[in-house]
Amino acid sequence: MPLDVPAIRQQFPIFQRRVNGKRLIYLDSAASSQKPQAVIDAMVRVWSSSYANVHRGLYSLAEEATELYEDARTKFARFINAPDVAEIIHVRNATEGLNLVAYTWGEVNVHAGDRIVITELEHHANLVPWQQLALRKGAELAYIPVTDAGFLDLEALPPLLEDGRTKLVACSVMSNVLGTRPPVIRVAEMAHAAGAVIVMDGAQAAPHQPLDVQALGADFLAFSGHKLCGPGVGVLWGRRELLESMPPFLFGGDMIRTVKQYESKWNEVPYKFEAGTPPVAEVVGLGAAVDFLTDLGMEEIHAHEQQLVRYAMERLSEVPDLKFIGPGPADRGALVSFALKGVHPHDIAAILDEDGICVRAGHHCAQPLHDRFCLPASARASFYIYNDRDDVDALVLALQRVVRLLRRS
Amino acid sequence: MSQDLYREQLLDHYHNPENYGVLDPADVDIEMDNPTCGDMVHVTARLDSAGRVSEVMFEGQGCVVSMAASSMLTEELVGKTPDEVAAMGLAEIQEMMGGIRLSMGRVKCALLSLNAMKQGLKEAGRLG
Repeated sequence: MPLDVPAIRQQFPIFQRRVNGKRLIYLDSAASSQKPQAVIDAMVRVWSSSYANVHRGLYSLAEEATELYEDARTKFARFINAPDVAEIIHVRNATEGLNLVAYTWGEVNVHAGDRIVITELEHHANLVPWQQLALRKGAELAYIPVTDAGFLDLEALPPLLEDGRTKLVACSVMSNVLGTRPPVIRVAEMAHAAGAVIVMDGAQAAPHQPLDVQALGADFLAFSGHKLCGPGVGVLWGRRELLESMPPFLFGGDMIRTVKQYESKWNEVPYKFEAGTPPVAEVVGLGAAVDFLTDLGMEEIHAHEQQLVRYAMERLSEVPDLKFIGPGPADRGALVSFALKGVHPHDIAAILDEDGICVRAGHHCAQPLHDRFCLPASARASFYIYNDRDDVDALVLALQRVVRLLRRS
Repeated sequence: MSQDLYREQLLDHYHNPENYGVLDPADVDIEMDNPTCGDMVHVTARLDSAGRVSEVMFEGQGCVVSMAASSMLTEELVGKTPDEVAAMGLAEIQEMMGGIRLSMGRVKCALLSLNAMKQGLKEAGRLG
């Protein structure tokens, strides 16, 4: 069933407010999404009636909080079809999840002379942890290039795998700038055939399409809750045997089995990786967000956004001298980055703001990718379940105003 | 606020900047960029025998705020001593731009040329 966008907007309290006297047109969900009442309520409910620390208390309130917290873990496992709920690690966001892998699996398994392969379309979160790991270890960092059309040049991968030095391949499931959805299944197959593990950055893909870590052939996958209608917590999934072989990331309470003065033993997975008191209500809130999206249907969300991005690219083509970055609508997710000839992206965002339209302007935490396309910055409109054609129409109208205001021949 | 940013005075400076180009020779010659948004300025300046700024030119690329501020600054700085330039900050730049109040995200853009000039004076040994 197609999404009922007006009904969805009703469930997001933020759309009741106005920005600069105008209806809020939020086109920056690729940076962070808005929150439905169900998620806000779920968190308030924990704080108002079920809050206690988890995994510790022997009283019923603590048991209730623990149960809610662990129920959310089960929801996350189902959301990405993880075979084992113990493979779900609650983290702050995708960035922390990716750093966790770099600092644990990477620290133990990557050595001097080894190679790490990433791609030119990565967000800094799936780039800098590997760059720094390579620097710490004296390992080589290699990039799968991106073509002018915004696709991964997969022909560059086999030569990087054939000498057996590549230990890890990291690839985004969807680019936050180009919208490209790289052939991660193929990349995973190639990495595995060469004995490397594959780390997938699901931050952009998880909110918009069904993800199945088993079908993807992933070894690790990280995503952020705040991009999928949830609060500021995230998930790292990893294959159990890998997680069990890894040392802890952070040390402290809850992650230990026994502590003596001069030695400690670690708790089992996933708790080994969850040191300290977790954000209980936020994890429960993300569980509610996953329920909210699952009820709408991830396939339906994806179909809605594919139609919308196609419409957006059609309509945006009407703006004079607007240049898209990345592939055509059939090959991209729900975002469009573009440059307007002679107009700085900052000015685009500031003028659009006058019309209540929120877009991102800058390098979107992907500086090397912007360098690749010889752009200092770009503007980006990204779409989600609460966006529809009326938002695109407003965007096009506002961009035409930008052109009138700032471009003089 | 943003209504203010795109008013005619600033747009005029953006479209037809004052003192656009390069002084050669120059006492101050510096390039500075703002990597987070890709703005770049090249500021050159001459000082007179009393050590005061006598001429400033700039070239570069960037948003309306950075380009208009640079253009206005080339006139604003003339007659000032290096110490007077060093003492300038956001308040003076906002005043110079007609009393606008810049949002947090645009402050760096507005200050780019002033910061370049300060750094240039320092590198030229004109500032303590």
